[in-house]
Amino acid sequence: MSAEEISFIEKYDLLGCIQCGRCTGGCPVSMRTHLNVRRFMYDTQNEERLEELSERPEIWDCTTCYTCAARCPKGLEPLEVLIGLRSLQIEEGRIQPTVRDALESIFKDGNPWGSPRAKRLDWVGDLDVKVLEPEAEEVTDVLLFVCCTDAYDPRVMKVAQSLVKVLQAAGVDFGIIGEDESCCGSEVRRLGEEGLFEMCDEENVELLNSFNVNRIVTISPHCYNTLKKEYHGLRHPVLHYTELVAQLLEDGKLTLNKEIGKVVTYHDPCFLGKQNSIYDEPRYIITRIPGVEFREFDRCRERSLCCEGGGGKMWVESESKAERLAEIRVTDAKEMGAEVIAVACPFCLLTLEDATKVRGIEEEMRVADILELLAEAL
Amino acid sequence: MKDIFVLMEHRRGELRDISLEMLCGASQLGGNVVAVLLGSGVDSFAEKAAGYADKVLYVDDPMFENYNSEAYQKALSALIKEHQPGLVLIGNTAQGVDMAPALAVELGAPLVTDIIALEMEGDKPKPTRQFYGGKLNAHMTLKDAGMYILTVREATFQVGEPTKSGEIVKVENPVKEEITYRKFVEYVEPEVGEVDITQSTMLVGVGRGIREDKNLPIVEELAKVLGADLAASRAVVDAGWLPPDRQVGISGKTVKPKLYLAVGISGAFQHVTGMKGSELIVAINKDPDAPIFSIADYGIVDDLFKVVPKLTEKIKELKGA
Repeated sequence: MSAEEISFIEKYDLLGCIQCGRCTGGCPVSMRTHLNVRRFMYDTQNEERLEELSERPEIWDCTTCYTCAARCPKGLEPLEVLIGLRSLQIEEGRIQPTVRDALESIFKDGNPWGSPRAKRLDWVGDLDVKVLEPEAEEVTDVLLFVCCTDAYDPRVMKVAQSLVKVLQAAGVDFGIIGEDESCCGSEVRRLGEEGLFEMCDEENVELLNSFNVNRIVTISPHCYNTLKKEYHGLRHPVLHYTELVAQLLEDGKLTLNKEIGKVVTYHDPCFLGKQNSIYDEPRYIITRIPGVEFREFDRCRERSLCCEGGGGKMWVESESKAERLAEIRVTDAKEMGAEVIAVACPFCLLTLEDATKVRGIEEEMRVADILELLAEAL
Repeated sequence: MKDIFVLMEHRRGELRDISLEMLCGASQLGGNVVAVLLGSGVDSFAEKAAGYADKVLYVDDPMFENYNSEAYQKALSALIKEHQPGLVLIGNTAQGVDMAPALAVELGAPLVTDIIALEMEGDKPKPTRQFYGGKLNAHMTLKDAGMYILTVREATFQVGEPTKSGEIVKVENPVKEEITYRKFVEYVEPEVGEVDITQSTMLVGVGRGIREDKNLPIVEELAKVLGADLAASRAVVDAGWLPPDRQVGISGKTVKPKLYLAVGISGAFQHVTGMKGSELIVAINKDPDAPIFSIADYGIVDDLFKVVPKLTEKIKELKGA
């Protein structure tokens, strides 16, 4: 028994598993792929099988939504075992080209989208946004940490632009990092590239600590989760924008005047809901938008159905031909009479919007970030 | 100036483009260009090379029917020792990079691999190669040596019209001993799907704008008359209208064809990331605000069901003429 293999059992507390099967029972992707996470909890106890298990294609089907961990009566995190198996593959250099390109782009340019660092501020456009100086004497209230997807994807840029408009309307003193901003590494860690994640952790903590700010606000729940729970030594408190905006509304600093006049539902992002228990703030915001008729999904809050955008799945296609969970989600929304699916995550925005196209309902069903609705209601 | 040796590369009865590219590149440097051809019964290659070289050294021997690094290295090193060229150009191909480093070590010659540009300073080459995945170009300065070996990236030089008629000199195979360490066994074809869209020179990309799979034939017809292959957005693949190996995008394939004709593709970022490197992008979409137009070289804002059949007719007409 080698030291490395002992650590695999110990690292994930595999012997604590009682094989109850609640993990697989709740796993949203087990509906459409061969992934059986309970079996992996059992089989990985046999160190001689680790290599073979790491070669199974279904380990890449996991979206790291956290349902398995949330349901585990022993407090284990089965998804981490799958990430551990991915790491074994990555260490061996056995890696899909799409994943390789994303990781390389993060290493070289600080974003997974193969875009140059020099274009990181393109999303700002004509907006007047302060770029923070490190070690400034004057305190800025909020450092806005802009997700790579918000910075580079033209569709998602509108979300970041909306947040700027909302913060300006509420008179919040905020600034951004600028071109030096780099990927948080959330997807890096979940794709199993531990070394590169350590680099993201160290470099981003050093960079973020250099700014004289009261707090950090993220747009993406993935950045939020990583900054808040996975970084080491970050000295600023981290908020998701829904927390900040809900507070602004409650304090009367943000006034919404325009009627939206739509039936709106809300899709809980896994990294905001299941993983960080932020359920009420997004709903508080949506229900304060004038003219919104709010309807809940049947599967909402802790039971919310994953959109399959996390866990590195933006770069990995499943072998399964069964319908995507996002397609089920938009169909459910349509059946309950919603006209808008509000989201609070760039990946949810993209996967759900894509699903409306696949289902051919893109003209009747709008997918929008809460921030876009807010900016329209100002 | 000393002679420049250029190794002719051929495989399965075909002279590879890199061979003539290097001959044309070498001709711009000054100095006698000598094509070195190792083969078996490939007189036609010798004649072709003669059009671009001042001389062709042709070793005709069954030993060279298929590429074998051991045989090639022995033959080349013997020819180099005999003729004393100042520069040896070898393709930066699977064959070239297999042999060039060993040859350089054997001859004690400086080696620069994967060059993308070349100038001369007297007898000394000043090659350029890339670093950091093509972000930086490095101009290399070499130590003084009697002879230099460079491997040249494909498509570094353009092939022009043949302007020379070099003498074809058949030389005896300098390799007398048996080749024992390496043996050619067989060519193994990679398993590919029906079409590998990453290799296509022209692609017609289909998006959700075609509405239903029964409309696919009008786009297939366009692709057919163009001689292009069909590619698809993720939404089209998800809908099951085209197989996953046709998917272009961040989770599918990255393509760089000479022409990418985007039909009914709005241009979602994840799709654009997979095809923005195409040489020429033409988009047909009825929405003038579709993001695809921001990266397209040409765009047609109209209903694809009107445009595509007309375009197909027009191409048929032009091809018929």
